[in-house]
Amino acid sequence: MALRAAILRHVRLPLQTAPKLHHNQPHPCLASFRFMSSHDDHITKEQVTDRVLAVIRDYPKVDPSKVTPNVHFEKDLGLDSLDTVEIVMALEEEFKLEIPDKEAVRIDSCNLAIEYISNHPMAS
Amino acid sequence: MSNALKNVKVAPNSATLEEARHRVFDFFKTACRSLPTVMHIYNLDDVTSISELRSTVASEIRKNSHVTNPKVIDMLLFKAFEELKNVVDMAKQRHHIIGQYVVGKQGLVQDRATKDQGISPFLKNFYNSNYS
Repeated sequence: MALRAAILRHVRLPLQTAPKLHHNQPHPCLASFRFMSSHDDHITKEQVTDRVLAVIRDYPKVDPSKVTPNVHFEKDLGLDSLDTVEIVMALEEEFKLEIPDKEAVRIDSCNLAIEYISNHPMAS
Repeated sequence: MSNALKNVKVAPNSATLEEARHRVFDFFKTACRSLPTVMHIYNLDDVTSISELRSTVASEIRKNSHVTNPKVIDMLLFKAFEELKNVVDMAKQRHHIIGQYVVGKQGLVQDRATKDQGISPFLKNFYNSNYS
C-alpha cells in the first residue's frame, strides 16, 4: 500500500496554471481534441453532389451526358414517377438514410435531392 | 425481419386510382428496403447487385402499369406483398430467386464472381460455342 502510494505520488504530474492570454483571442488548444465526436463530421456538399450524380448516372435508363446538378428527373431526363421513386431509393441506399414518404414525394429533381441529403443529419 | 411488413396485408379498398398508385409506391419502397436482407440470406452477391434487383422489381411493376381499375391494382398488390413475404421469409430458395428475378434477357445469369477471371479466352468461347 505504501509502496503503491509512493509510486503513484512519484508519477503524478504537477499541476500547471493555465497560461495567460489576451482576452480577445480564443485559446488555441480549445479547438478540442474530441476525436470520437461526430458532432461536426458531416459530409460536404460537394461530396454529396458527386455521389448523387454518380448514382443518377449509374441508373440504366438515364443518359449520363444529360446529368447536371439541376436536372429534373421527369422533365429533363424523361423518366416516369416509378423511376423517380427508384432513384430516391437508390439514394437512400447510397447515403444509408431512410427518407419518409412526405419528403420523398417532394424530391423531384437533382438539386432537391442534393439539398435534402446535405441537410439530413444522418447522411453518411 | 425487415421492415415489419410481415403481417401487413393490403386493405382491399382503394377508392381512387391515385390511392392505388400511392399504395404501389409504398409497396415498391418496402420491397427496396428489404433487398439487402434478400441479398444476404440467399447469398446473391456473386450473381447480382441490389440495384439490379431494384430494377427487376420496378420492371415487374411496370408490366402491369396499363391497369386502370383500382380493385385490380389492389389484387395485384396483394399478390405482390405475398410474394415479397415469401421471399423475405426464405420460403423460396436461391434457384427460385435467380430464375425469377436475376436471369437476364439472354436467359443466362451474368456472372459477377471473380472466380472466372483467370480462365483463358479460349475456354470462355468454348463455353459459348464450339465453332467460336
